[in-house]
Order: sequence, then structure tokens, then C-alpha cells
Amino acid sequence: MASTLRLYLTCIRNTLEAAMCLQNFPCQEVERHNKPEVELKTSPELLLNPVLICRNEAEKCLIETSINSLRISLKVKQADELENILAKKFLRFLSMRAEAFQVLRRKPVQGYDISFLITNYHCEELQKQKLIDFIVQFMEDIDKEISELKMSVSTRGRLVATEFLKQF
Amino acid sequence: MASFERASPALKEILLRIYNAEKPIEVDHHLYEFGSVEYHIKSSVSEPQVTYLSISTPFLSQGVFLSYGLSPFTLKMVRQISTDVLHIVEPANDGYQLTLRLDFSKLPHNKESLNIITEVSSVQAVILSSQLKEMLQNVNSGDSSQGTYKPIKLIYHPKEPFYVIRQELIDVVSLKKWAKVPPCNWSPIPPLELRGEPFEDLSTNGGFVSFDISSHHVEGKRLDKIVWSLLNFYAYVKHHVKCTRGFIQRRMRRRLDNLVEVLEKSRVEDGQIKKVQGWKKMRKMVASKSKMIKRRWGDLGKKIKRIRFRIKIHGFARFRRRWLKMPSFSSSTGYTKLQTNGNNN
Repeated sequence: MASTLRLYLTCIRNTLEAAMCLQNFPCQEVERHNKPEVELKTSPELLLNPVLICRNEAEKCLIETSINSLRISLKVKQADELENILAKKFLRFLSMRAEAFQVLRRKPVQGYDISFLITNYHCEELQKQKLIDFIVQFMEDIDKEISELKMSVSTRGRLVATEFLKQF
Repeated sequence: MASFERASPALKEILLRIYNAEKPIEVDHHLYEFGSVEYHIKSSVSEPQVTYLSISTPFLSQGVFLSYGLSPFTLKMVRQISTDVLHIVEPANDGYQLTLRLDFSKLPHNKESLNIITEVSSVQAVILSSQLKEMLQNVNSGDSSQGTYKPIKLIYHPKEPFYVIRQELIDVVSLKKWAKVPPCNWSPIPPLELRGEPFEDLSTNGGFVSFDISSHHVEGKRLDKIVWSLLNFYAYVKHHVKCTRGFIQRRMRRRLDNLVEVLEKSRVEDGQIKKVQGWKKMRKMVASKSKMIKRRWGDLGKKIKRIRFRIKIHGFARFRRRWLKMPSFSSSTGYTKLQTNGNNN
């Protein structure tokens, strides 16, 4: 199981290294404007082919690139209803605090749980390799955190129920 | 584990204050709890050892309140709190279901008095639990008629009803350890027995929990415990759901801080960027050159002025002022004021 995760993350890392070659490109439609082309998609010649990397039916990663911006959308594994609730709650918590991350999108792309938007300005302020490391570590940490939360909630529920029934 | 005390803390404090007061005090206090329970405590100087306590509380079941007041079983339970200290006043005060006369002179002068006052403060819990106890005692006595399926609706808190359904149960003995515990199960949809109840009472997003109470669960002293646990089950679950939410929030915040820290480390450091500062230095050099020239001419001018002429020529001072004056250099930032003549041609 761990080996498939390693392969999945390695594939995403290699794709990001290739895709994260961004440069400043002013908007062709409106003068003196500079917009992330991957969001607007007005000029097809500025967009690259999107890459979809699937670990399984439940987990996938979509990488869309353009000349001056890159969008990464993630679908996180949710095995049961409790994981579904915890993942939704946690990712919404992070999205609402997107300004702390700078590269995080406030609203995920439809069909995915969380999205990043990286522009050429981010590549100037942040080191490319470390930014890719952050994205990969983010994916690992999300899975780990959701598993730990699920275990804590189950343990806590079991303790609470035991304590209540002890009264009888 | 969250302990839900039976005694009302505010009522206990007021009664203790009255009991421990050195001089008789006048008290007329209205106390509200949970939004629907009301207490009225009255103590006057004319009767220093007597305090009147009136209680108004919503009943568990609407069918319990009889035309002449509380059921005899409930009154019996209330009297059992303390036969010496507590007397029921009939009829009760207007707007209240029960009025009690508390005689503090009958309280023992030791720690037992605190226990009795605590028991008196839990009179509301006694009233509510007596109603459920009455129903469960019928289970114990085997009085329930077989095939009685109509559920009895009980309301402990507003919008939180629970139902007591009498039916034959198959006693499933699982583990010896949990043999004393009533079996319970959860379902997302209402059980079959509640299908005929009003929709607004059955609409919930938390599902339905059912406890199977048998006769051996309500034997002797266990009845009191089981009644109090069942009445407070909803509050207990709500408390632990809130604690779990707080725990999850704290964990998420900690994880957020860790992730932000990782991102901050990926910033490009200041030493890796070369900043150009040449233009500032150039401007400084240009400004200092003009100052240098000014200083040199100033020195020369002073030297000339210090020259003393051995021969004094009449009118030479005026000549010197007009023709031997050092020219002033105009700077780019300043301007030379033109001397205007009288005629403007």
C-alpha cells in the first residue's frame, strides 16, 4: 500500500517539476492587466494539456498548466462516512484560511476536494523545488491527519460510551 | 466523564446562605433554569427558621399532571427527601406546581445538614425522575399488558422528546461483563414502533438510539440510577459532541501552523537577490561637488577681504563693493532673483 503511494507522489512530483516553468505574461485581451491564464482559459495557445494522475478511483490529481500559472486539484481518499465528514471539514478549514498559504485556492475546482493556484509571482518569491516539496508533503499530511482524526474520534466515542454504560 | 448533578447549584447556594446567616434575612428570590424551570424562594424576618420554596417545571409527559396536582407517587418521592425538614404546602402558590415549607430548625447541626440541603435543591430532578420511575416500576412489577405498543412521549428538554415503548423483549445475554447493561442500538431512521408519531418529533439528523430496559435493570436502587442516566443521555451526548468538535478544531489549527511553517521555509532568502543601489550614490556625489566649489570660492573671498590696503583711497570701498564682489553660483534647485528697474520697457 505504501509503495503505491510512493509511486503516486513521485509521479506528481515529476509532473510538477516539468510543469512549473512559468513566466510573466500580460493579458492579451485587456491591456495593463496580468491574469493567471489557467483560470480564464481565454487563449487556447497559452494553455498546455492538463495531466490527470489517478492512484485509484477515489484518489486523483489534476495538473493544469498555462504560460504564467499552474493549477493543481486534489481528490483525497474517503473510505467511509466518517472520513468523508472529517476530510470535508478539514479541507474547508484550510481553504477558508487560504491567505496564510498564498498558493491555496479558496474554492476547490468542481469534482475535487482542494486546489492550488501557483503563478509566476509565487515562483519568484518561493523556491521551485521547495514549493514542489510543500505540495507533496501537504498531500501526505492530509492523509495522515484524516486517519489520526478518525482514530481519535472512534477512540473517544468508545470511551464515552463505555463510561455511560458503566453507570448501569 | 461529565457529571450532571441533580441539585441546582444556584438554589443550593441561596438555601445555604439563608441557613448560615447569623441574623434572619428577608429573601424573595425568583430563579430560572434551562428557560422553563422556575423557583421562588421566600424567607421573612417574622419566621426566621422557615423558608418557602415553590417550583414550576414542565412535566415529562403531558398526561401526568392530574387535575388535583402532582401524582401521589411524585409527592411521596418528594416527601422522602426529608420528612422532618420538608413539608408540602397545599394548595401550591399561584403559577407553581409545588410549594414546600422548609423548617431549618429541624436540620441537624453537623455535616448532614449540607446533604439535606443538597437533596432539597434536587427537588426538580426528583419530580421529573419520579414520572419515569413510575413507568419503569410497572415493568418490574410485570404489570404491563402484553402487546401494548403505543409509545409514551416524554419531554425532558424542549425539542428533545424521547419515547417509552412497552413491549416484550427477548433477553439476549451476550458477554457476562455487560449482562447488567441494557442492550442499545442506533438506527438512522425511526424504529418501527414510532412510525405513527408526528413528523416534527421524528425529524432529526442524529439518528435514533434505543435502550431495552428489562425488569432486572430497575430492581431496587438501580432504578434511581437508570432513570437519571436515561434522562440525561441527550445532554451527555451533546456535551461530548461539543468536546470532540473543539478537539478536532485544535488539531486542525496545529496542522495548519505546521504546513504554513513548511511553506515559509521555501521563501527565497535576501542574500540570493542583488539589489542595485548605484543611483543613490551618484546623486550624493553630484551634490557634494557643487558644495565643494562654493566652499573654495568662499574661502578666496574671505582672503581678499582680509587684505588690508596700506594706502586708503577715497571712494575705493564703493568701487570694491561693486567690481570686486565674488559672483554667486546659482544651483539647480534655487533661482536668482532679478533686480527690476523703475522703468519697465
